[in-house]
Amino acid sequence: MFELFKQKAEAINAEVHYFNSKAEAIDFIKDLIAKNTQGTSTKEVVWHESPFLDGVDKDSLLKEVPQIEFNIDQNSASSAKIGINEVDYGIAETGSIVEISDSIFKRLCSILPEIHIAILPLNRIEPTLEEVMKKIPISKIPYMTIISGPSRTADIERVLTIGVHGPERLLILVVDNL
Amino acid sequence: MIKEEIKRALQNANLAGALTRFSEAYSVSRRKAYEGLDFEEIRDKIASLKAYVAENLNEIIDTFIKSAQENGAKVFYTTKPDEVRKYIIDLAKKNNVKSIVKSKSMATEEIHLNKYLREEGIEVNETDLGEWIIQLAGQRPSHMVLPAIHLTRYDVSEVFTKKVEPIEPDISKMVKFARKHLRRKFLAADMGITGANIAVAETGTLLIFTNEGNARLTMALPKIHVAVVGVEKLVAKFEDIFPIIRALPRSATAQLITSYISFVNKPYTHFDGSQKEFHIILFDNNRSAMAKDPNFKQTFQCIRCASCLNVCPVFRLIGGHVFGKVYTGGIGTILTAWTEGLKASKDIQGLCIQCGNCVKVCPGKIDIPGLILEIRKRLAKEEGLNFKTKVIYSIVNNRKLFHSILKAASKFQKPIEKEGFIRHLPFFLSDLTEGRSLPAISDVPFRDRFKKIIQPKFDKKVIFFAGCLIDFAYPEIGEALVKLLNSAGIEVLFPIEQTCCGAPARYSGVMDVAANNAKQNIEALLTTEADYVISACPTCTVALKKQFTKDLLEQNFNEELIKKAEVLAKKVKDASELINKLIREDKIKFKSTPQESFTYHDPCHLIRSLGIYKEPRESLISAGLNLVEMFESDTCCGMGGSYSLKFPEISKTILKRKLENIKKTEVKLVCTDCPGCVMQIRGGVDKEGLSLQVRHSIEILAERLKKG
Repeated sequence: MFELFKQKAEAINAEVHYFNSKAEAIDFIKDLIAKNTQGTSTKEVVWHESPFLDGVDKDSLLKEVPQIEFNIDQNSASSAKIGINEVDYGIAETGSIVEISDSIFKRLCSILPEIHIAILPLNRIEPTLEEVMKKIPISKIPYMTIISGPSRTADIERVLTIGVHGPERLLILVVDNL
Repeated sequence: MIKEEIKRALQNANLAGALTRFSEAYSVSRRKAYEGLDFEEIRDKIASLKAYVAENLNEIIDTFIKSAQENGAKVFYTTKPDEVRKYIIDLAKKNNVKSIVKSKSMATEEIHLNKYLREEGIEVNETDLGEWIIQLAGQRPSHMVLPAIHLTRYDVSEVFTKKVEPIEPDISKMVKFARKHLRRKFLAADMGITGANIAVAETGTLLIFTNEGNARLTMALPKIHVAVVGVEKLVAKFEDIFPIIRALPRSATAQLITSYISFVNKPYTHFDGSQKEFHIILFDNNRSAMAKDPNFKQTFQCIRCASCLNVCPVFRLIGGHVFGKVYTGGIGTILTAWTEGLKASKDIQGLCIQCGNCVKVCPGKIDIPGLILEIRKRLAKEEGLNFKTKVIYSIVNNRKLFHSILKAASKFQKPIEKEGFIRHLPFFLSDLTEGRSLPAISDVPFRDRFKKIIQPKFDKKVIFFAGCLIDFAYPEIGEALVKLLNSAGIEVLFPIEQTCCGAPARYSGVMDVAANNAKQNIEALLTTEADYVISACPTCTVALKKQFTKDLLEQNFNEELIKKAEVLAKKVKDASELINKLIREDKIKFKSTPQESFTYHDPCHLIRSLGIYKEPRESLISAGLNLVEMFESDTCCGMGGSYSLKFPEISKTILKRKLENIKKTEVKLVCTDCPGCVMQIRGGVDKEGLSLQVRHSIEILAERLKKG
């Protein structure tokens, strides 16, 4: 199912990476931040806390990568280049991710920055939209988004252009053994 | 006025070029997007779940209001456009709103909300890229899903440079430019206004589909979110969303899914710590009257994908600036008639050529041409017909007079006729012969030629219904049919009292005339016993088989006649179908002739109303011909009966595309099974001076018959 998910997600311009452990995923994130930020002096990364960060020493992570901001507000989110959050489900048939947000700050990470890094536990990938919806108590959640690839437009001469109002890069980090 | 608008649109190479390229690419990619799915099953589900909404509208509105209120949304239901505007303006004033961001919402365009907000001194910014361009340019969208499709990158750069700041005509740079400038507007806005694609009554959930992500920003950043939702967006149950999610992106833009589908349930705590305000305006504007109308309740099955625009041979030439008001194209014509009143659709309803291309792709299974015809009928009834039209139809209803005029015409036309064609007509009639030549009316019509045909006597008999075109313009098609049927041991009968099938009147909404034509023909055709009644014109076949009963019922004719119409309908077959059956049964045999290649044009009524397309191809192939398919073989040729007389410029342009597609096959023979299509395509071929034969299949088959 992961293979189908990856194939479908890549077909709509998402970047999918598989990690055997949390540690591997964190190394990847550190590397990505280093490559995509100006330096260490500004907070160019907003990271919404989630169970993925359980057991991670955030203080030492911050020391190593001072670009990260865990305290999200409108200012930090709108000036950040990278937003990181943990999403709730994957849908293999379309390569989509499902982001359930109780908190507006989780949402801001996937709305405002140019790069959205979505952490998706491997065991959360379901075959179809219907299967995913069976697991979500829809009337109890305030807001949810099915995200399929980066933001796109074809409004000028029908030329497909990636990255309009939302992220221009969507990286899905599928992590096993969480 | 509409004539001038059409002329202007047809001369706009950007618009017609962009729309046609899109429409050609769309058909291919749409088919691909639906691969592996059962489109018929999906649209059956959508049609039935949305029909349920129309039937139970009041109850579903109440349920939605209750669920959404339980979720914490403020819900306002109104039937009136001015109350929607007032609600939003009052809310804005109360909260000291200075600036509003909007993501695309047709409902707000329907009530011209932006104009009213601006009059109150409130800044409004559309944030969908295409809508923003249109807003800056001070124009109207030309397409429901692709609002700026009529503008090139150079036009857009000019608009941006003039209204915002200088930017070069580079698409990717202009997209970044829009992100930068609109991001400031998003961050500063006090209110966000969206529409919704689906509203679920059971849970009070709104679903909003976007690709750009602008609706997400519109909902997340300002403290107040107002969703303006037409009641036709309602579904009863949460599970009803699935078939719509499958169909909407595929049908709208041939995507498997849009980048974002947002589910909005409850207001949450805003990022400044205050409570977010979430308002839903449920908007009616005559939609509940539509739900009660036995014909127009179907309109609730629309999911606003605009696929009916994308496949429309007329829309792709003239676009939404002519073909529509707020809502464009076929479905737009219908929505205009209801949201702005029947009269508002008077000019645009005539633009539908009734080809039925939209019916086969509509994910809501709406009979769009049927509903437009219903508008035509109601307009004809309400407004009456002009004097000229009345005179014409009263003649058509008097068979003897009509036929003697046609015969007389064959004499009058002599000075302008050459080699069986009329190439130029004088004065105001010249439009008719501008892009195609017209066939000369035959010296001896089929009804007179028939008397001279000596047929062997056979037990098996069929009645032939010729229709005006074969009778008076192409009697040789009728003769070829007699020859074919005789070779299969069938005698052809021709009741002389038969007259026009009524199509010209029917497709103009003049139903009393159409019903009278039906009556005369039923009486004429049922006087003799025969196995079948056949016609070699699919428009006539459809009239005899499907329309007569309907027309008579509608015009309150007596039960006895309606029963007769039903008896007749059962006997009617299109000639292409019967001939194919006889070939399969080996009753018609062909001589061996050298291989010749042909391409086949599918007449609209034959393929879409009668579902016949394999049969004529198979017959021609079995007569030793080699088929080379053309691109868009089933796209209308532009004839559309009297359409080519009403809108000759559109008809001519559609024909031109058909000819291009024919030329690309490099064959020298075009076959089709409709005398109207023969007339149109042959007229275009003559006008362009192409060395191409355009023939009714029946003629080609008859020429290849095995002797003895």
